[in-house]
Amino acid sequence: MADPHKARAPFAPWDRRTLPGLFDVEESARRVGNYKWAEMKLFEALGGWVATVPELDVKMRLGTHCYKHAWHAELWHKRLPELREMNPDRLTAPANDAMVRFVAAMTEPEAHDQTIEKLVGVYRVYIPRFIAAYTYHLNATSEITDAPTIRTIKLILQDEFDDWRDGEMLIQSLIETPDDAARAAAHQQRLETIMIEAGGIAGPGSLGS
Amino acid sequence: MRKFFPVEELARDERFHTVTMKERMNDARTIRGDTKNANFRLTPERRDATDGARGLMHGIFVGEIQALEGAGRTCWDFETGSEAPFELKLDMARQCWDEARHVEISVKLSDWMGTEIGSYAENTVLFEAACSSDPVLRLAGVNRALEGLAIDVFTTMKEFGNLAGDPYLEFCEDWMLADEVTHVKMGSDWLRKVTEKDPERRKKALEFQSIVDKLFSYGGTRSDSNESPIGLARRFRELAGFTDDEVESIADVSMQALNERKAAVKKMLADADSFTSAAAAPSGAAASSGG
Repeated sequence: MADPHKARAPFAPWDRRTLPGLFDVEESARRVGNYKWAEMKLFEALGGWVATVPELDVKMRLGTHCYKHAWHAELWHKRLPELREMNPDRLTAPANDAMVRFVAAMTEPEAHDQTIEKLVGVYRVYIPRFIAAYTYHLNATSEITDAPTIRTIKLILQDEFDDWRDGEMLIQSLIETPDDAARAAAHQQRLETIMIEAGGIAGPGSLGS
Repeated sequence: MRKFFPVEELARDERFHTVTMKERMNDARTIRGDTKNANFRLTPERRDATDGARGLMHGIFVGEIQALEGAGRTCWDFETGSEAPFELKLDMARQCWDEARHVEISVKLSDWMGTEIGSYAENTVLFEAACSSDPVLRLAGVNRALEGLAIDVFTTMKEFGNLAGDPYLEFCEDWMLADEVTHVKMGSDWLRKVTEKDPERRKKALEFQSIVDKLFSYGGTRSDSNESPIGLARRFRELAGFTDDEVESIADVSMQALNERKAAVKKMLADADSFTSAAAAPSGAAASSGG
């Protein structure tokens, strides 16, 4: 056995984490507030849509995913005070007005025959933007000082990937004709246009600059 | 998507058929005779036990769909903070997941019991109780009254699985029962918390709960008596935050509903007897005169 009193490097040779990160405390907190707002809007919409979709498998998936995004919002809610924001509601805000318009447009479909539009908005536009913003945060923030945020993002990203795959498979199973495909594409384009204006879940700079 | 979704517009595929509570209870096929103190509790000894259990399982299945829809609408219908606390909505989202899982379990169990989706009609009264414009009333009506009924139903079904030697059914019902106790407790906790400084609102919510409890005791379907197919699960209700007085009150309402139904059935049978006698008399007289 190695001598227990022999001096060892505080960071093992395989631990390559570094201190520098692109975000200070305020910037990390601002982004976390945007994430919480966006996750809240998502779980509320998924819950509301359950009663409006006739497809039983979709109904059950929406109910399941509703909770996952509520849990993400809760994780971010708990992270905010740790980032010196003692009033989490203050930073629980959309990145900008375009993001508010995006959510309004995404949650607009209600009719029984609009399941494709509902799913496209969430799984082809909104959730991919979450995956992008979270991945950027994961890669850009300090691996040591902002480790709690990194851990939370890793937990959330697993859900996002799982849900994206579930949603995408549901969409593919519902698109049966070229007309259905055109509907899906048209709705996606409409929402993407607003999302481009918003700049992503955390606004311009969601993916860096 | 609008706030507050009407029950008439609940989205269903082609297999589902909706009936009202009144239509269901007045269905002649479900009227039971006036056999005094008969045991109608759902047990394997009942002659119609197989169909009774299948019907109850289908009722659980559609009830879970509506509970899922109701919890989902509470996430959407109320503004966070100004109309409903953030944590309350998180609980409702959690309930969405639980109810979605219960739908999955019910579909699998129905299949196990030899029933297909749509074999029985759907009564949407559960969702109606979830349509109140006050979130506290929804919690009282859905989480305390209806999920309370679910505790009674799952306990009866679990016992049925045990008596019938069906560990698969018993196992699943026990898991769902654990979730229902959690949901009722959520309702009890939020009711106390949100109305802590608003006794009038609490009174209104409890009155609403009582109305829903009475509605779901309609026909004496659930009571302490063995004449009801479903029993009152007192112990699990206590775990879920019901006080002794509240349990007694539900027991009284249920027994009253059972007695009302028995009186109605007795009257119906008496009416039928007099109709038969009246119909028989002239025809007999005609036969005599003719001979």
